[in-house]
Order: sequence, then structure tokens, then C-alpha cells
Amino acid sequence: MATLFDEIRELGVKQALIAKADDVVERVTAGMNINDIRGMLRGDEPRRPNPRLRPHADSFWLHIRPSFYHAEVTHIYPTFRLGWLSTFMFIWETITGIFLMIFYTPSPDVAFENMWEIMSNVPLGQLMRDMHRLGAEVMVLAVALHMLRTYITGSYKKPRQFTWLTGMLLLVFTLVLSFSGYLLPWDQLAYWAVTVAVSAAESHPGPAFIGKNVNLLLRGAPVIGAGGLLRFYLLHVLLLPLLTGIFIFVHYYKVVIHGHSLPPGREAIGEDTAKRVPKDERVYFLPDIMTSEMMWTALTTLGLVGGSVFFYHAVIESHADSLVTPLHVVAPWYLSWSQGWLKWIFPNPLSAFAGPLEFDSKVVVAFGIIPLLAVAFFIWPYIEVGRSRRYADRRAGLSLSMFFITFMLMSNWMGSPEFLVQATSELEVSQRLMPQEGHSILLEVPYDEWDVGTYIADEATVQAMVNAGNLHIAEALEVYIKALEDWSCTKTGHHGMADCVGYDTENGERYTNGVKDEVLVDPYAAIVIKQDQSNVRTITIEIKVDDEEDPRDFYYTRYRHEEAAYEIY
Amino acid sequence: MQVKIVITTIAFMLTMIIFGYASIREPARMETFTNAYEGRRIEWGGDIFHGNCATCHGEHGKAELCYDAEGEQIGCAGLALNNRELLCGERTPRMEAMGWLGTKEAFIGGTITAGRPWANMPTWGSDFGGSLQPYEVGYVTAYVLNWEDEELCAGPPPEPVIWPSTVPDLIAETAAGDAVNGEQLYNVAYGCAACHGDPVVDGSNAVGPWAGNFQNLDEVRVAGYTAADYMYESILEPSDYISPDCPAGPCAGPPSSMPANFGLRMSFQDMVDIMAFLNVDVSSSSGAEIVPPPAE
Repeated sequence: MATLFDEIRELGVKQALIAKADDVVERVTAGMNINDIRGMLRGDEPRRPNPRLRPHADSFWLHIRPSFYHAEVTHIYPTFRLGWLSTFMFIWETITGIFLMIFYTPSPDVAFENMWEIMSNVPLGQLMRDMHRLGAEVMVLAVALHMLRTYITGSYKKPRQFTWLTGMLLLVFTLVLSFSGYLLPWDQLAYWAVTVAVSAAESHPGPAFIGKNVNLLLRGAPVIGAGGLLRFYLLHVLLLPLLTGIFIFVHYYKVVIHGHSLPPGREAIGEDTAKRVPKDERVYFLPDIMTSEMMWTALTTLGLVGGSVFFYHAVIESHADSLVTPLHVVAPWYLSWSQGWLKWIFPNPLSAFAGPLEFDSKVVVAFGIIPLLAVAFFIWPYIEVGRSRRYADRRAGLSLSMFFITFMLMSNWMGSPEFLVQATSELEVSQRLMPQEGHSILLEVPYDEWDVGTYIADEATVQAMVNAGNLHIAEALEVYIKALEDWSCTKTGHHGMADCVGYDTENGERYTNGVKDEVLVDPYAAIVIKQDQSNVRTITIEIKVDDEEDPRDFYYTRYRHEEAAYEIY
Repeated sequence: MQVKIVITTIAFMLTMIIFGYASIREPARMETFTNAYEGRRIEWGGDIFHGNCATCHGEHGKAELCYDAEGEQIGCAGLALNNRELLCGERTPRMEAMGWLGTKEAFIGGTITAGRPWANMPTWGSDFGGSLQPYEVGYVTAYVLNWEDEELCAGPPPEPVIWPSTVPDLIAETAAGDAVNGEQLYNVAYGCAACHGDPVVDGSNAVGPWAGNFQNLDEVRVAGYTAADYMYESILEPSDYISPDCPAGPCAGPPSSMPANFGLRMSFQDMVDIMAFLNVDVSSSSGAEIVPPPAE
């Protein structure tokens, strides 16, 4: 073959270099030269043989993409681009995650400090963290919705059962990926959410050594410490991304083999014509699908970057502390349903004959309901073998899915502290204003707006604050008053509170307001601001009840530094 | 397809503009976050201080307002931390006395971590079996150092109080000793009882010599001193003479574990009141010169 020098001698420098560049481009794209690419982007007809098909045969990246799609599946319906979005989010998480890895050490001694370093000392560090966290939430949502869409259009049916199964695996990986990332900031939220989840292993109904050892394996020690953090870190950055990447390839390859399923109404019942696309209904990957994906990539990137800069900020709470469990520890929203189920009571129907009156909900949920559901989901396409994908023929199945979604949303709500979790009334009130962890409307009042003194929680003070222009304080006081109305009752006809209804307990008479029990009787409630250091004040929530039967005297104090900047973060 | 390429281009440009906007505001944002983190460390330190340290060092670190678990005021067993000597300037008198070469932050953190077991200060650091993790020690240190402010450190150091050089001179400037007030000062205000014990219970002293026999120390300690002379010197200049009578044998020092700043904190009358409470006869002074008169 002629060398570059031979060609220069023969064609001159310019022509030889152009020919060389053309050659390089053709090798890199596995079949398309510069003119082919320009023609493709201009929308020209391809030359024959079509060079736009060669990358699908010869290149690594495109061989797992179909060379053409049926025109029917290139619109928003029926795919909603959710599979693409899931993959995009995986890549997005990988890129932002690698950025964060550079500044992070998985050790309890420094992890929490690293997070603050990322936010305060790494240019665009907070943005990267926000994008990674926002991306994780969007990814969970995208994967779940992708599964729902596949169910609704019946695309899991023959011959795509195995694609569904790999998709289920990817859903599980996504949830565990997201959850394993939860621990890494090593704050209270992280620590306790993971401690609670991992403790499920302990409730194993089999021999005790199994639960104990699984727990040890996950935590690395009796409590989560350096070993546990390192394990979750390695799961999060190595094992799970690797598995997810592998199964994304399997999943994609199955799509190449079987094609995208057409909208259910488009083909005869029992037929699968996805691979038999008439010439005039073909939409080629190059260039149409590719440009379409480029557009969605650009738009999604814009959305995620804009969302992270202007709206979404990942929280960080105080340092993980194995000795202090914050009140109302909650699982992330995508796992809150399981926390809801833990609150249920599972009576033993055979308790008259054998066994306890009710079963331990942890055992039932972690080793009964969740594994059964998971198995059912995995093998669903092999059980539900009805031939028709049409909506009208699948009323039971579609109703079931709608019922299931409603059920999960309700379970999610049950996972929140709203449902069946009650601390004392005064603690609940203070929690709403100034929770031990997380956003607090009181701490978010700008430092300068407060004066040292006492702010009584009543309408007069709210009005005075509005008149004085102290709107943040007014807003906080309104939340305070609303919380008091929820958790109090009145014997004196206090405006806004329900009348007290007494009932007897072993500790004497207690009162209900018709919604909550053991509520406060005509409470005196205030916020007290004191100067502690020249730039530090204490904010104290003070609640007193004078009632003879059920007196209360409650204080909860937090420190507030002038520059702690809760109002912006 | 052309439309898609146009949308792609516009979206890409908008993304870059947002990145640019974020980059421009980044230095200011990073500074805000740096301050916020420092501020929150101080807040977390305040929480820990209030829950653990304030029992002995007082609510505002002045060794004045100490309360037990029931909310009863008690004598402060710890030293005042919120004062000029500790907070203003790079080095403290104590660091000099001990020959500490590191930073003040490390000095305070080290003291919290390792404690001063010979002077009632427990070992707090988890490395030595205490209850505070290293990061928590850092928070408390940040909180303590945050008492430093312009007002406290402004201007030249206050003129030291010139104490009368002999006990008779002191009596001449004060009323007769009030034993009742002296008891309150001994037990609560200055927290003497924390180290020197209850003067009617022998062996109740935790750190320093027992206060119950100070009145019997005529000529025992320093030639030519009466008990009043000895006590006057011990309170104002604790390192001048190191007592052999601490609970575990001879006391440590010099420097003595006893704070050297009572001369700055108490009034002349307080001194006589405490002596009255401890039955030290102020009128029996030998007239020895205890405090050297100020140099001209």
C-alpha cells in the first residue's frame, strides 16, 4: 500500500491529506467517510451500498443498536423514550460520579468533611453533587416508569420475556445503586436510613447465625463503621455499575434481536412483526434516530444542569452518630413503601392452634412480601402467557397494575411519619418547626431578622412581624400556630383549637382533640432567642401547659451561627 | 431532522451559558459555604459544650453559671474559658508555662481529648476512652475559640488589679469578713469546693489540699507566714509555693494546677469573706510582704 509520502508525491500535500483524513474517518466510523457523514446530516439519500448500515455490522458501539426502527415506534408513544432515558441517566451518573470520586475518601474519619469540602472548596463541586443526586432520583423514576410502560403495552410477552427479566434485574440494580450511594456522605440521614434497611437481615426467620452473618457481611462490623462504609462504597462505585453496565448490554442486545414491539393495536393478535418492517416504514438509525437521541441528550442535559443550578440541592445533615437516632428516620421516597409495610400488623390466623398472635412485621416484609413480589415480577412473563397485547383484552392485567400503583403510593405515604408514628405532642410541634435533622423553617429565618427576646406564637405576634417586615419570622410563627392547632385542644375556647375530650389512662386523665391523642391543653408556646456568642444565638422552642392533669414543660434549643446560611442551603 | 439539530445546538448553548453563570458565581458561593460549614461546626460544638462542658465551665464559659442535672446552681469545677488570656492572641500564658509548641487550636483540642486528669478535667477523646469522637472535639474547639471577639480583645490588656502587699493593708481596705457570703463564694461563685472539698469533711478534697485545716497552717508552710499570709499568697500566686498535701501526695507543679487568675476575678472583700468562711484569722498576720508593690 502506498505510504503517505507516496501519496503526497503523487497527489500533492493538500489532496493527500484530505484523502488521509477521509480514510481515518472511515476507519473510525467503521464504514462512513466524510462525504457520507455530510450527506447524512444534510438529509441526502445514501449511496449504494448504503454506508450507514455498515457501522451496525462492523462497529462495537452501534452493533447493539438496530439499524432501522419501525416508524410507529419512533414517536413519543409508545416508548416515551424511557429506556433511552434510563441508559442516559446511567451514563450521566457515571460521569458525575467519577468527578465526585476524585474528592471523596470512603472513611468515617473524613467522608463527612469531604462532602463539605466538595461543596465549599471544589469549583462546581456542589453542582456536580446536586446533578449526581438529582440524576439518581430521575434514574429511579425513569427505570420504574419504563417498566410500567412495558407492562402496559404488553411488551414483556413472547418473545421478549427474557428482555423483561434483564430489565427487572436492572431495576433492582438501580434501586440498590441509588440506596448504596445514600450512605456515602456519612451524615445522619445516610447512616440511619442504611442501618434500618440493613437490620432487616437480622430478622431472618431461619437459624440465627444466618441473619447475624449476613448482617456482618453487609455492615462489616456489628454496627456500620469503617468496614461498612467501604463495602457500600465498593458496591456503589464498582460492583453495581459493572453489573448494570453488563446487563444494559444484554438488554440492548435483546432489543436488536427482537426489535421494538409495535403499539399493541398495530399487529394481529399473537403476531410479532417488529422485525418485518416494510421498506417505506423504516426509519434508519443513521441519521434519524441518532439526531433524535442527540436532541434528547441535549435537552435532558439542559434540564438536569438547569434544575441543579436553580432548583434542586442535595441536602447534607449533621455527622453520622451511632449513638443518636434522629426522630422520624425515613427511607428515601422510592423505598418508603417498605417502611410503610413494617408498620402493619400481620395477625396469625392460626394463633388459636399454634404460633404467636401476630407475626413480626419485619420478618413478613423482608422475607415474605418483598421476595414473593420480586419473584412474581421476575417470572411474570412466563406466567402471564395470554397471546393478546391489546388493551381491551387485558382488562384484568391492566386493572391489576393500576391497583398495584395505587397500593404502592398509599404504602409510600404509610412510610412517612404521618402514619402511625407519634412522639409526644410537644416534640411533634417542635419537630415541624425545627427537626433534629433536615430543613427547618426556624433555622432558615435569616439571622439578622431575629431580635433577642421572646416571640409568642399567636396571631398578634404574626401581625406585628408582618408590619415590621419580618416575613420569615411571621411565616415560621404561622407554621408554629398551625402545628399547635394540630396537636392541641382547648378548655377555654381558644380560637382555632378543638375542644378537649378527656379520657382515662393509667397515668391520669389525658385529652384528645378528636384527631390526636395526648394533646396539649391550651399551651403557652413561644420562640426564645438568646445571644450566646457575639455571632451565635440560641433558638429555643418553649411549650408550657398549666393543666393540672397533664402539665408540660418543654424546651428544645438549637444554636444558630450568623453565617450558617440555612436560608440558602 | 434539521429542526432536531437546531434544537440540539440551542440546548447545548443554553447549557453552556448556565455552566458559565454557575462558574462566575462560584467563588462567592464557595466562600459562603466555607463560612457556613465553619458556622455549623461552631453550632454543633455549642450543642456539645452545653450538654457536657457547661456543667463545670459555666453557661458562657465564664465558670460562673453552672447547673446540675436538676437545674440547681452549683459551684463551677472548671476554669473560665471565655477570657482574654485564653482567647486573645496567638499564645496563652498556659501554653507558655507548659512549653506548648503547637497551635492554640491543637492545645485546646489536645486538652479536651486527653483531659487534665490531675485537675478534674476528664479525658473526653474517644481515642483515650472518652465519649467524644475526634470530629466532635474539633466542633467544641471551634465553639470555644469563637468566644474570641473584637470587644473582648480590643485595646491593651486591662490593668492588673493592684492587691495590697500585706494582709493588714488588705484588712484596712475591707469590712469584716462575712462567712455566709464566703460560703457562697467558696462553693458556687469561684467553685473552690470542687478541688479543695468541703471544709468540714476531711478527705473530701478532689484535687488540691483540703480546705478544712488552712487555719492551722501557721509557720508550717513558709517561715514567717501566718495562716492568713499563706492563704493570701496561695490564692493570688498559687505557683509560689507547692503544697505537699494533695490527695495523691505532693501537688503537681510549678506551675500549680490552681488557676492563677483569681486575682483578676475577685474583689478584696471576697478574699476576706472566703478567709472568714474557712476560719482563717486575718488579724493574726505577721505583716509579711506577700504581693510585691508595683515597680515604679
